[in-house]
Amino acid sequence: MASTLRLYLTCIRNTLEAAMCLQNFPCQEVERHNKPEVELKTSPELLLNPVLICRNEAEKCLIETSINSLRISLKVKQADELENILAKKFLRFLSMRAEAFQVLRRKPVQGYDISFLITNYHCEELQKQKLIDFIVQFMEDIDKEISELKMSVSTRGRLVATEFLKQF
Amino acid sequence: MDPTFRPAVVIDNGTGYTKMGFAGNVEPCFIQPTVVAVNESFLNQSRTSSKSNWSAQYSAGVMADLDFFSGDEALTKSRSSNAYNLTYPIRNGQVYNWDAMERYWQQCIFNYLRCDPEDHYFLLTESPLTAPENREYTGEIMFETFNVPGLYIAVNSVLALAAGYTTSKCEMTGVVVDVGDGATHIVPVADGYVIGSSIKSIPIAGKDVTLFIQQLMRERGEKIPPEDSFEAARKVKEMYCYTCSDVVKEFNKHDKEPGKYIKHWRGIRPKTGAPYSCDIGYERFLGPEVFFSPEIYSSDFTTPLPVVIDKCIQSAPIDTRRALYKNIVLSGGSTMFKDFHRRLQRDLKKIVDARVLASDTRLGGEVKAHPVEVNVVSHPIQRFAVWFGGSVLASTPEFFAACHTKAEYEEYGASICRTNPVFKGMY
Amino acid sequence: MILLQSHSRFLLQTLLNRIQNLEKCIELDHHWVEFDDVRYHVQVSMKNPHILLLSLSLPTPPLETVFVGGLPFGAIEAIKAAYGVIVQILDPPRDGFNLTLKLNLSKLPQDEDQRHTLLVKIASVREVVLGAPLRVILKHLASRTVAPDIDQFVALVHRPNESFFLVPQAEKVTVVFPMRFKDSIDTVLATSFLQEFMESRRTAGLSNAPPCLWSKTPPLELKGVTDDELSANAGFVTFVILPRHVEGRKLDRTVWNLSTFHAYVNYHVKCSEGFMHSRMRRRVESLIQALNCAKPDQEKTKKTPQTRSFKRLKQGFLRAGNRMLE
Repeated sequence: MASTLRLYLTCIRNTLEAAMCLQNFPCQEVERHNKPEVELKTSPELLLNPVLICRNEAEKCLIETSINSLRISLKVKQADELENILAKKFLRFLSMRAEAFQVLRRKPVQGYDISFLITNYHCEELQKQKLIDFIVQFMEDIDKEISELKMSVSTRGRLVATEFLKQF
Repeated sequence: MDPTFRPAVVIDNGTGYTKMGFAGNVEPCFIQPTVVAVNESFLNQSRTSSKSNWSAQYSAGVMADLDFFSGDEALTKSRSSNAYNLTYPIRNGQVYNWDAMERYWQQCIFNYLRCDPEDHYFLLTESPLTAPENREYTGEIMFETFNVPGLYIAVNSVLALAAGYTTSKCEMTGVVVDVGDGATHIVPVADGYVIGSSIKSIPIAGKDVTLFIQQLMRERGEKIPPEDSFEAARKVKEMYCYTCSDVVKEFNKHDKEPGKYIKHWRGIRPKTGAPYSCDIGYERFLGPEVFFSPEIYSSDFTTPLPVVIDKCIQSAPIDTRRALYKNIVLSGGSTMFKDFHRRLQRDLKKIVDARVLASDTRLGGEVKAHPVEVNVVSHPIQRFAVWFGGSVLASTPEFFAACHTKAEYEEYGASICRTNPVFKGMY
Repeated sequence: MILLQSHSRFLLQTLLNRIQNLEKCIELDHHWVEFDDVRYHVQVSMKNPHILLLSLSLPTPPLETVFVGGLPFGAIEAIKAAYGVIVQILDPPRDGFNLTLKLNLSKLPQDEDQRHTLLVKIASVREVVLGAPLRVILKHLASRTVAPDIDQFVALVHRPNESFFLVPQAEKVTVVFPMRFKDSIDTVLATSFLQEFMESRRTAGLSNAPPCLWSKTPPLELKGVTDDELSANAGFVTFVILPRHVEGRKLDRTVWNLSTFHAYVNYHVKCSEGFMHSRMRRRVESLIQALNCAKPDQEKTKKTPQTRSFKRLKQGFLRAGNRMLE
């Protein structure tokens, strides 16, 4: 299982490395505007073909690219109801703090759990390799956090129950 | 049953003390120091050994985040045991440590008030300078952790004004001089709306008075155990301090009749339990004096409180100024010093009269200015005026309509907490 | 911090306050609400400062529970047994309440410890009143009998319009809690908590605890109870209480623990959500650090902390002193 995760993440990393070649591109319709084309989709010649990387049905990653911006959308695995709730809770918590993350999109693309939007400005400000590292680490961390949260729920349940039953 | 039929929970979290209770009452149920004592030793463990065996998790899990105390219990616990560290979740009127704050609320709700948060609407307070993000975080905690059905976050100065609402008149215009433990704000309010651009803050608050008293006693060589000196200074401040009308005269009074003015403080050493005692002299009036002559305390900030209030009103829109001078409301524990409002009123009146006189002479007596009425209001519930105002507002039927509900939170997210409507029909 | 105490903290504080200032005529009129919709009201008038009126309102009972004169069965006897002479039950109770007690504070015992024990008992009035029927049944269990004229199963109110069920037998009493939660997240968390009750009962050291079972569907013991009373979104918890759990002093605690079982689970569900928040905050911090690594030249934006020079204090003091000399 761990090896498929490694492959999945390597695949995403390589795709991102190839995709993250963004350049400044002013808006074609409004003067002195500069907008992420991947969001607006104003003209087909500015967009590249999106890439969908799937580990399995539940976990996938969509990478959409345009001339000046790149969008990465993730779907996180949610095996049962508890994981589903924890994932929702955690991702909402992250989106609330999107301001601090700069590249995080406030709302995920439809059908996905969380999305990033990287523009050419981000690429200029941040080191490309490190930014990719961040995205990959983020994906790893989300999975890790959700499984740890799940474990903490059952640990706590155990403690709560023990404390209660101890009293009899 | 619909939660709107139950009284709302009103919690006023101040830097020094938290006031909590149910709407419709005259007094809060509890007034507790805003402090949490956390057992940190286990917290660090859980970070490293999250995947280790069950027994380690047992101790780490249960100890780390349920092994804590709040309020007075925290203070006693930290004194008796070294394992607990005190954390003050609020500093200078702003939430500083959200983990500690969340736990503190948890204790307020489940251990002190013992209510089910799903059953009640909540009214919380914030300082007028709170960032919208912090308001969102508050909403996030309240709606997600506690599942409250409705939440209203009120500006504490507006509530302090509303506290006067029932006692005499329903005046929603005035200046609130809010001197708490960690922050001093002067907030002009017109018709229930805060005039944001005119808010003035002073870096001197209740805690500084305590520090100053502590310093004075130390310099005079009173034998107070260092670990207890801050707490002793706080007690001295709360029990013996008063505002004098003139420092020089007061020094003379003390020197002539030391027996009448010098008080004694008896304490118990926290470590050994042995009693000690010390004298309290000039600090009785020098403590509160830091508000009127701040230069004796700090050289960074030297503007006296009455001058700041005057500046604040002068920066407000011209048509509100007379009304603002007329209703200066004190709130917060650190305005409780005896005769504080008299001194403030006198000093402020002096400044205003000087200005009126100057303009009269400039105009050469042709036009006489209408005298400006200066009125500093003080009421007996000053210490928890903010809470009382919240209790009054939260028991009006309009309150429930002004709240953000859980359904709205789920629909739009935490951003709904960025704005809180001022009640219609409140004034 | 982990368990719920049986006395109301505020009521105890109020009583202790009153006792200390018995001579002072302070008017007191306070109302408050506790979990499971138990409301309290205390009143002291200026005229009779040593008389305290304490009113209690209980959660609305569902149809299947037996209430006699607005109180659960056995409550009046329980109050009389617990408080004796210092309490008088007023009839009718204050408007909107189920019970009003008149406390004569001047009749309290003089002995410090005795008095405190009695005050704690008064502050635990909800345990006495609401737990009364449960106590009656468990007392019979202690003597291994079944109360006469009792049905096959008994419903007892523990939350507004919600009840839990007892199946009394001579050797054991089976207690069944239908667990309901309002919020969907709470429901999922509570369900996983409740399953842990079964698990932890099996671990060593707890074999003396009552056998405990969780199931998605109503247990067989409750055949004959209408479906409406048995809809529970977080399943059913069954405890089997044996005579050894209610012997002597254990009885009080067992009564309290069972009658607040739902509140206990609810409290911990909320606590664990708070715990998740602190975990997530830590994770966000570490992620932001990871992102900051991507910034080319790590300018450390040190915010200059507000320094307040304490050296100046002394100068200030001296200056104040000088002014005095002038």
